[in-house]
Amino acid sequence: MGAWVYVLFGTAFGWVLSRSGAADYDFVQGMFLLTNFQLYGIIGSAVAVTAPGLWLLKRLGRTASGQPLRIEPKPRHPGNVVGGLLFGVGWSLTGMCPGPILVNLGEGKVYALGALAGVLAGAALFGALYGRLSGALRLPDLELGTGDG
Amino acid sequence: MLILHDLQPLPWWLAGAAIGTITLLLLWVTNRRLGISTGFENLCALAVRAPYFRRGEITRSHAWRLPFLGGLVLGGLLSALAGGGWRPFWDLGIFDATFGWGPAGKLAWMFVGGLLIGFGTRMAGGCTSGHGIFGNSNLERASIESTLAFMGAGIVTTNLVYRVWGGL
Repeated sequence: MGAWVYVLFGTAFGWVLSRSGAADYDFVQGMFLLTNFQLYGIIGSAVAVTAPGLWLLKRLGRTASGQPLRIEPKPRHPGNVVGGLLFGVGWSLTGMCPGPILVNLGEGKVYALGALAGVLAGAALFGALYGRLSGALRLPDLELGTGDG
Repeated sequence: MLILHDLQPLPWWLAGAAIGTITLLLLWVTNRRLGISTGFENLCALAVRAPYFRRGEITRSHAWRLPFLGGLVLGGLLSALAGGGWRPFWDLGIFDATFGWGPAGKLAWMFVGGLLIGFGTRMAGGCTSGHGIFGNSNLERASIESTLAFMGAGIVTTNLVYRVWGGL
């Protein structure tokens, strides 16, 4: 599939994140303060659409071009929860999860550069320490990784 | 209202339905499982030589994850252009109202938060998209546990920052 297809998917996704509040600092804080339910509604309705659609696609078992559908479930390991806790703190501090960091950059929010630098440094650090962390956290083999998503 | 040009946000059900549709189309058309945070490993792989960034899943997925990340930036750019024009800005809503920090302080704050996001999402094997939307929709236990962890940690952290420290 040509690169432009993925640019198009990313652009559509980025537009929705930008215009829905998912890439907005105040909406994220409102979600975590339990004073604004917009983002809970978005995540909930996204799952409500995706879950039956996935079930249907898996029953069909084929992509649009007739290839066998490939869905790799994420491996389960203690890093899911430990990493999730760290990520939650970061999401709260920045008001951005990974997609919105890039969307905010595109919107012109200069402070998102700080988040981008941090996220790349954090991912690089995790990759460099993988061998040392994998024992304590019972992470999958390096070639498999923690789960791609 | 959004910080971006004080725009009115899309209704939650419309935004959620759109995200679900994009997720399903990405799978049906390209056979790809939605996920964003792995893309940061693809970016790291361009500069960092650690074996973790040379594993097959990363080198094989540059061709789709990198353009997808570029599209996210473009989506934000087009949204700003169409919504009132593009300009660099520093507005940070409730953070400005509560703490009033300048640009250097905001960059440092964001860097610290970003570190936790990069390290945490890669340890968790996903973020709001790969676990929160795709994994939960596929009823994967790893995703359900991870989502509970990051939502819980976010609620505790924001309440500490704004209700305890900020005196909201």
